[in-house]
Amino acid sequence: MKNVDTEILVIGGGATGVGIARDLAMRGFKNILIEKGDYSHGTTGRYHGLLHSGARYVVKDPLAAIECYEENEILRRIIPNFIEDTGGFFVLTPWDDPVYADEFLQGCKKVKIPVEEISVTQMLKEEPYLNKNIIRCFRVPDGSADSFLSTEAIAESSKEYGTSVLTYHKVIGILFDQNRVSGVICEDQIKGELIRISADFVVNAGGAWAGQIASLANIKIIILPGKGTMLAINTRIVNTVINRCKKPSDGDIIVPAHTVSVIGTTDYKVENPDFYPIEKWEIKLLMDEGEKLIPDFKYLRVIRAWAGVRPLFTEDIETDNREISRSYVLLDHKKRDGVDGFLTITSGKWTTFRKMAQVTVDLVCTRIGVNRPCRTHLEPIQLEKKLSRSYATIGTRLEKIEKDKSYKHLVCECELVVEQDVIESLEKGQAKTIDDIRRDTRLGMGPCQGEFCTYRAVGIRHLYQMKNVEESNHELQEYYRERWKGVAPILWGKQLQQEKFNELVFRYLFNVEKLPGKIITNKFSSPYLPSVETFKTIPDHNITGSNISDKYISASRIRKQSDIVVIGSGLSGLVSAICTSHQGKKTKLITKGWGSLFWTSGCIDLISPNADINQDFMENPLDKYKQICLINREHPYSKIDLRQIEESFTFIQDICSSSGYPLLGSIKNNWFLPTSVGSYRPTCLIPETMVAGDLRNNCTTLVVGFQDYLDFFPKIISDNLQKYNLECSSLVISPSELSKRFTLNNLILAELFESQEFRDEVCHLIKTKISDGTIPRPKRIGFPAVLGIRNSSLVQHDLELKLGSDIFEIPTLPPSIPGIRLFNVLKKQLINSGGEIYEGMEVNGFESKNGEILSVISNSTSRILTHTANIFILATGGILGGGIFAEFETNPKEKVFNLPVSVLNLNPDYCNSEAFFDPLFTAGIRVNEFFQPVDYENNIIYHNVRVVGSSLFGSDYFFERSSEGVNLTTAWSVGESIG
Amino acid sequence: MNKNYRSIDLTTDNCIKCNICTTACPVMKVTDLFIGPKYSGPQANRFRNIEDRLQEMSVDYCTGCRICNMVCPSNVNITELNTKARAKLVDQGSFPFRIRLRNNMIARAEKLGQIAQPFHPFTNFFLRNKPTRLIIEKILGISKEAPLPNFSPYKFTTWFRKHKTPNNTSRKVVYFHGCSTQYYEPRIGEAAVFVLEKNGFEVIVPQQNCCGLPLLSNGEFHSARKYHKNNVSKLIEWVDKGYSIVGTSTSCTLTLKEEAPKLLDMTDRETLKIAENTYDINEFLLLLLSEDTLNLDFQSISFEIPYHIPCQYRAHLLGKPGIDILHLIPDLKIIDTEADCCGIAGTYGYKKEKNQISSAIGNPLFEKINKLNPSLIICDSETCRWQITHNTNIPAFHPVEILAVSYGYRTGQLFEKLKLISK
Repeated sequence: MKNVDTEILVIGGGATGVGIARDLAMRGFKNILIEKGDYSHGTTGRYHGLLHSGARYVVKDPLAAIECYEENEILRRIIPNFIEDTGGFFVLTPWDDPVYADEFLQGCKKVKIPVEEISVTQMLKEEPYLNKNIIRCFRVPDGSADSFLSTEAIAESSKEYGTSVLTYHKVIGILFDQNRVSGVICEDQIKGELIRISADFVVNAGGAWAGQIASLANIKIIILPGKGTMLAINTRIVNTVINRCKKPSDGDIIVPAHTVSVIGTTDYKVENPDFYPIEKWEIKLLMDEGEKLIPDFKYLRVIRAWAGVRPLFTEDIETDNREISRSYVLLDHKKRDGVDGFLTITSGKWTTFRKMAQVTVDLVCTRIGVNRPCRTHLEPIQLEKKLSRSYATIGTRLEKIEKDKSYKHLVCECELVVEQDVIESLEKGQAKTIDDIRRDTRLGMGPCQGEFCTYRAVGIRHLYQMKNVEESNHELQEYYRERWKGVAPILWGKQLQQEKFNELVFRYLFNVEKLPGKIITNKFSSPYLPSVETFKTIPDHNITGSNISDKYISASRIRKQSDIVVIGSGLSGLVSAICTSHQGKKTKLITKGWGSLFWTSGCIDLISPNADINQDFMENPLDKYKQICLINREHPYSKIDLRQIEESFTFIQDICSSSGYPLLGSIKNNWFLPTSVGSYRPTCLIPETMVAGDLRNNCTTLVVGFQDYLDFFPKIISDNLQKYNLECSSLVISPSELSKRFTLNNLILAELFESQEFRDEVCHLIKTKISDGTIPRPKRIGFPAVLGIRNSSLVQHDLELKLGSDIFEIPTLPPSIPGIRLFNVLKKQLINSGGEIYEGMEVNGFESKNGEILSVISNSTSRILTHTANIFILATGGILGGGIFAEFETNPKEKVFNLPVSVLNLNPDYCNSEAFFDPLFTAGIRVNEFFQPVDYENNIIYHNVRVVGSSLFGSDYFFERSSEGVNLTTAWSVGESIG
Repeated sequence: MNKNYRSIDLTTDNCIKCNICTTACPVMKVTDLFIGPKYSGPQANRFRNIEDRLQEMSVDYCTGCRICNMVCPSNVNITELNTKARAKLVDQGSFPFRIRLRNNMIARAEKLGQIAQPFHPFTNFFLRNKPTRLIIEKILGISKEAPLPNFSPYKFTTWFRKHKTPNNTSRKVVYFHGCSTQYYEPRIGEAAVFVLEKNGFEVIVPQQNCCGLPLLSNGEFHSARKYHKNNVSKLIEWVDKGYSIVGTSTSCTLTLKEEAPKLLDMTDRETLKIAENTYDINEFLLLLLSEDTLNLDFQSISFEIPYHIPCQYRAHLLGKPGIDILHLIPDLKIIDTEADCCGIAGTYGYKKEKNQISSAIGNPLFEKINKLNPSLIICDSETCRWQITHNTNIPAFHPVEILAVSYGYRTGQLFEKLKLISK
């Protein structure tokens, strides 16, 4: 075992622990700080970020209030870069006791905390979203702090003063020399080695785990984990800390923290500081309280729910041997338990961490018998190596990126994290996991919750740190799951749609769950129970009338006639419109924006089981289709027969080949293509540009990516493909065209590939590496799916000719170039067949009579347009397309015709443990065999409406890999039946 | 939802980072200086604190074409987010004085018209003169390549004052001419009056001023608000009497209908009533068609003419009303150019530092048109017409001029042109 000697050992890398380490180091003590995980991954990294003014405590606990205010002032001096001077309001709402407001005001004045009452008008001027019914408002010096960065900065400063820091080291035993603690044994969590640390004094700053640590010294400390749950709102809906002016209670504060606003919190004792659920009642409470402060709070976008545990100290024996303060607890174990050389500091608020550190180190000095005064309140943190991410105002982030022109280096676009930040976090920050990188950089903390940046961060880490690919696969899965944990409790509104999009990337495009190596999940049974829940939101269907508001009825309307109106421009919308146009019907396609073809792979899947690769290889998709039809009578495939499946696939193949962009394959077998993480993707019809990539071809493969193109990481792909017994290598090239540019995305690359010069340079760079022996001569070369947007065939053949190898492309993060190619083909076909496309028009109303839809209504500027037709085809894409939505505490609704929505019920086994499973993800409309929408008694609701595509109920189309198949076959069948 | 205040900002929440807008942005396709709609709009907006100074300038390269709004599946008001950011930059003084002066000059089409039109022979000569243009570019930053139109020898309102309304009119309608018709192309106003009169309307041209869109697009919100307020106060009495407002300039009508109220948060009764009662001329005629009151006495025009629908017209969310109405003319074949943006983007292409971007954006359209080699082209927006003509040498006309000729209008440039071609 390794042995280390030091003077003082500090256990715990939260705010208090690092504060103690720095104070010790500044006072000349040799010290070591050990932390079982990453800095601030405990309570410090899980609170709302408030820098207390102390006003919160003036009525109940004036001493604590003064302490907070003093520290508030000190922290603004010593760590100004990590504190945003937001100011704070205490607002008296109609729900609060007006007497408290007077007590509050008096209380602040008594302890001299600066307070100023401002008029409600002034308050609304500064914070226009606040409730206009607020009665009184008081301004106080609250602030918003970044606890991740400040902890790290203080730790760095501490290192500069001489502290040694060991993160990912867990204390597993405490050593004794008679009645004195003489050190600890700790375990390196990464390497597994044990280290013995001998120290003159041990300080237990373990926060919620302090009790567990003390028990290793046979000392009983009761620390009850008090869970507090918080929600992050997508934007800074307020720029000032908003507090309810009342006795402190749940859900009474909103803190603007960087780009989000945090509403908190609850207070509920749990058993275990490491595992605790977030409960529905907590979410409801926070949303309800939020509504009081900000009307229509429930329509704001909530992007995450999380919780931290407060260390609540309770003493069941009377003792007077401790520092008396309401805000923190310092236990001298010599006096309390007869154990020398050991101190515990616990409870407290982040705002007072420096003070807690000070009193702790003062006590250490007293125990040791030296007199070394504290200077931490005097000296600001000055780092020799400035942390590049410290900033007090959010605008500086935009400024820096513009100044550096580092747009193409963006890893997390939501939070503007660049590649350099990630690398710095890995190197200097010693980040071990993606979650560690998150704490350093805010990666994944924005609205998309890691959808794009998880892949990029894992790819960078894999490349940079030469990781074992199984470890990287694990990280990829782990981080997506970790992000899912915080969004599963808040699946409504836009975040629900975002997470469905997340599922598309995770499951459908990348197939992360099937990565070779360590399998995280063993669950191959269906995640869904056979039962169905239907939400009846539609009234009696024999109704005459419309759902347009009166305001619009009085405005003029323009009526536009056609035979067929198709709503939605995804695959199902376009296909059904083409079908009806082909049959001579005047077809109008109305769409709010473009659709899912821009995100998916540009291939057509029929169906594939979610088992392992060997089973997948052998199973015929047609067999699976037949199985599904037998088991699941609600599945869209059950409503069509084999002939319709064959003909619809032939239909799209015919259109594509006549447009010069053939789709190859047949419904009798699947291709097995690689994904951009190195997993596999069974699929049915594919463009020429992907054929050579089939994983069953056992041949020397090279995967090529581009410098600064962060949507594709060849190394992680090739390392994973080797697990399929393929000889595979990777290469990153740096064409001059790309280095000239500040921005890079799939479309830019695709356009560059259209040019001869670019292709020539790419080939030259690859050939150089082959000829100088850096990489073995490949039989086939894989690129990201950017091989041209208009002339992909020409691009492919040109590359094949020049490189002498087969060429294939691998779809990667959206936007999908192969998807766009397919979209362009279909769009052109529709126009050429006489159909019309009206884009930018959202259909949000209708007129009906006697069970027939007369017209649908779309918003025009300052008025409405009415579109009449004989038949209406609803192709609005379900949850992902936005055709079905669910607000907070409301059942899912269908947007256009208010049709009843049904969901599959989730197997409880899957809940909370698997990523991207939720009943709401399966929301869809039930239909009869003609695709007319029906209610739960199977009565037809509207005779002249047809529902197609992802709006249909009955298939979990990403899980079973049938998305395009359902879209294509149902749309074609409806199109054929109308003619 | 409390939709009134900052509703545009709230649409930031709607973005699901799908990247569709980045594939559609015509500016991103040609330059690195604009980082794209997703980045500059909803993504950057989370970092724009209302209290702090904005420290990024790249958003100024947005042309405001609104194509991103059209293709966004999530209802994000991307263009408006960008415009508001630009307004903030203007407000906090981030643009150098010369730039701001230049922007204000070219954004005040009405003022320019009032000053320069009376001296039209001189002003037109100078603006054609290459050395002058070079000097103007050097001093003011107005690109020497920009398609500056000729001032008309007479103002539209001067013509209208002398014009006699025929006797057979039964209804009244207000015509909003806009600065382009007033000072540069009164022929379009004349054609519009003719068409409206053919449909039984007495045309009223009340006091009105510039709609203020160029000011809005340049972030000069204070000035734009003044302009709009003035217009509203001048027009409200007519709207209160029950008359509709019809315009031939797609920018003007869009501003009255939506852009001014939305961007400037104007929600008073008058502004909203003006918005509800403003129509684009094609839209208005189609309305008459759906009410069966449209004069269908169209004479044949046997031509094949390409039609470019301006970005701003798409933003009216009416579909393709120009094509719909022109389809009523017998034997007329309209070819939809199906191109995105001509690049001029209002005042954007007139700026020295942006002119090249502007041309690059429009290039695909110009190539398409040149391939067709037509004798004329149809386009609803004035600046688009000037940009297309400047880059292809093909004359451009407004749909209402075609309609006028089809109704029997026998004077004017278009009629002469058609006569020439059919020879």
